[in-house]
Amino acid sequence: MAKVYLIGKDAVPGRISLGKGELLDMVLVALPGVSADIGLEVDLDGENAELNLYGLYLCPNEERLNINVKVAHNVGRCTSRQLFKGIVGGRSRTGFYGLIYVAKDAQQTKAYQENHNLQLSEEAKVETRPQLEIYADDVECSHGATVGKLDEQEQFYMRSRGIPEDKARELQMISFISSVAAQVEDETLREKIYDSLSEC
Amino acid sequence: MSEVLLEIKGLHAEVEGKEILKGVDLAIRRGEVHAVMGPNGAGKSTLSAVLTGRPDYTVTAGSVTFAGRDLLTMSPEERSWAGLFLSFQYPIEIPGVSITNFMKAAINARRKAAGQEEMKPAEFLKLMKEKMAFVQMKGEFAKREVNVGFSGGEKKRNEIFQMAMLDPTLAILDETDSGLDVDALKIVAQGVNDLRSPEKAAIIVTHYQKLLEYVVPDVVHVLKEGRIVRTGGRELVDIIEKEGFEKIDG
Repeated sequence: MAKVYLIGKDAVPGRISLGKGELLDMVLVALPGVSADIGLEVDLDGENAELNLYGLYLCPNEERLNINVKVAHNVGRCTSRQLFKGIVGGRSRTGFYGLIYVAKDAQQTKAYQENHNLQLSEEAKVETRPQLEIYADDVECSHGATVGKLDEQEQFYMRSRGIPEDKARELQMISFISSVAAQVEDETLREKIYDSLSEC
Repeated sequence: MSEVLLEIKGLHAEVEGKEILKGVDLAIRRGEVHAVMGPNGAGKSTLSAVLTGRPDYTVTAGSVTFAGRDLLTMSPEERSWAGLFLSFQYPIEIPGVSITNFMKAAINARRKAAGQEEMKPAEFLKLMKEKMAFVQMKGEFAKREVNVGFSGGEKKRNEIFQMAMLDPTLAILDETDSGLDVDALKIVAQGVNDLRSPEKAAIIVTHYQKLLEYVVPDVVHVLKEGRIVRTGGRELVDIIEKEGFEKIDG
């Protein structure tokens, strides 16, 4: 079961080490109104360790949110997957800085990282900076980062079915965060996340 | 003769500054099925887009009246509430939103606009079941994400499913027959035929005659270079089939 941390409420650990064969599923969630500076380092220190790290930040107003993540593959045969999604509006500022480090002997590493952002206003500032630092040669790594707007064709499709603009917008945001929100197993919290989209 | 449901007069429209429709005149009466045929680039999809209010298309001249109302001043959702439906040529995928939630939002928005209460869950499920059976979709279809991982045929069946759910007064089918196998084509045709009634009408936009074998149109229009160049009965479909669009003009 994925451990969920509500940024601004739960203390997010600064550093985590995963030993041989250990598995960690973790979700970081920042609800509207939360400003914070988060720094997290996960060290994969034993073979066959696996990290699934998800993040979601909803910053519709004046929030200031920075997320620094370092995932260090110190030994071989480990897997890390990261997926961070953000909705940024109003005059808020967000930064996602993600470093994947693969040590020289960490062969057969698999490391993936994605950060996608929905920018709702021109005044909002979204920064995303993925970084790869790879010293091994037998690795499978990928990263992707996007900052986009609500898709107009998608919106028109919904409106042509009679769904009004504001509801269409909400469905689009539900659609956007669904891959991360689905990792939150606590139904009450998941509903709370979806409900908070009405503030975006 | 029955009442005119849709009346298009001197319609000019452009997209990205390029004029596509150059004076379209068209009148559709209740109870009729019209086919709009024409070669690629004639403006068929632009006509569908303008009628349903796609924001990136601009009407530069002309008027459209739908059930007595000025259609062009209405938002896309208002047009839907008024009874207009477009079956998309390229249906959009919406990950993370189930067909059930999508249709619930659509149905209840329309009821809200009409000052009605939300549909009761049991009534909604019954309607879903009935219309799913109608397009031969299995139970799990309701839980699937809108158009995600659907085959071409499934996407078009989903359009017809949505059409049946919303029960429009005027259905516009934009190239619904392209890329369909015969079985899916028959389902689509059945969907349109089932909708036929003295109060309703449909526009079938296509450049094939395939769908028109199953849904026989009352009136056929040929659209070329942004204008209707010829209007006739169903015999026009056979002429196009034999001679192509090249020889047809005013």
